[in-house]
Amino acid sequence: MKILLYSISFLLCLACSTNRKPEESAFLNTLDSAQQTKIIVDPELVGGILGQIPSPLEISALLKASGTKYNNKFLNAPENHGKYSTSYKQALNLGIYGTDLGYTNIYEQNLDGIKYLGAIKLLAENLSLGQFFDIETIGRLAANSNNLDSLLLLTTQNFNSINNHLQSQNRANLSVLLLIGGWVEAMDITCQVANLDLSNKQLHETIGSQKIILEQIMLLLSFYKGDTTLDPLLADFQELKLAFDKINITYTYGASTMEIVDGVAVIKDNSTTTILITQADIEDIGNKTSVIRNKIIS
Amino acid sequence: MNLNILKHTIILIGLFVANLSVAQCNSEELVNSSVSTIPNGYNFLKSYKIDGEPDLEKIEFSYVLTRGTSYILTIKDRNNSIGTVVTLFDTQRNKIASNKIGNKMVSALSFPCNATGIYYIQYTFDPGSNRCGGAALGFKR
Repeated sequence: MKILLYSISFLLCLACSTNRKPEESAFLNTLDSAQQTKIIVDPELVGGILGQIPSPLEISALLKASGTKYNNKFLNAPENHGKYSTSYKQALNLGIYGTDLGYTNIYEQNLDGIKYLGAIKLLAENLSLGQFFDIETIGRLAANSNNLDSLLLLTTQNFNSINNHLQSQNRANLSVLLLIGGWVEAMDITCQVANLDLSNKQLHETIGSQKIILEQIMLLLSFYKGDTTLDPLLADFQELKLAFDKINITYTYGASTMEIVDGVAVIKDNSTTTILITQADIEDIGNKTSVIRNKIIS
Repeated sequence: MNLNILKHTIILIGLFVANLSVAQCNSEELVNSSVSTIPNGYNFLKSYKIDGEPDLEKIEFSYVLTRGTSYILTIKDRNNSIGTVVTLFDTQRNKIASNKIGNKMVSALSFPCNATGIYYIQYTFDPGSNRCGGAALGFKR
């Protein structure tokens, strides 16, 4: 009978064992004072909204497809990473560098990409997230242009894993900052390019369509209202929202059709969106985005 | 006598544990498999774990799709069967498409998006399906 009890106890122990990781305690030890006012929001709610925000990679791919040349002057210099000493700044700039890395990857600029990987690794370590970057593997992939697809896949997966990890550790506020940093950087690059290429209607439309994303970001920030760290950012985004309020997006539904091609259901979308945006709107949005970005990267 | 009871109990516990491990959904592996089936030319965006516990009617994720971008959603079910029905809804909850066409199921949906907005990707389960899978979203311009 004793053996039976031991067996059950053993099984129960196995079932109840936790996966507590060393970084948890490291994180608790490295909380800066600003985080003491941290507000915990339902991770499922935050995760659901975070999950619907498009990857900044999509904008980098659009820039390349529209014939825009690579320009690393649009990016935050990787050597700036040492300036960011609070977890607030580190998370925002981790998002910024994530977008910059995606931009260098899409344009196959491996040498720049490696510099951004180094900065990302250091910021991630400061936030107890270093385990998500196996710099040796990523560096090896980055060194060979034939591996660019694998590199893009791996870095995208790493950022997705970081977001999942942060949400599971009740650190979704950092996940929100990561996302905001990434979005602000993508917006800033797009607005700079659009201001240089006034004829690129597709870019103008892309900027206008970001109104939908901004609404989701405002929703996320509203959950943290009262958080002394995030409140100034919310105020800046309210200014940016005023610029986006002038943009009109109209959705017209049209029933889609579908055909099977090589085992894939290929959908023909018959819905459309019309986005009304002026050059003045783009300048206004660009200026306000730039103000937010400069505060983040300074 | 006591020894016999002990033996039977241990066997029962063993069977219970074995059954648990068989029933457990290893969606992580299926997610990786779905990522690997994204065709060349597409960039990986997101992956979704589909772990449909018995009383779960549906699993839903949302994502902002952008006009002018082509998306692909690949699906992998356990044991290579396709029992997970994926349905795409637009921002107004109009049904756009599904991977179930009549009685036939396909393992990928390709969607060249013509209208920017929040879309809903809903997973439901055919009767008798594994309720266990993974899906991956990719894009290309």
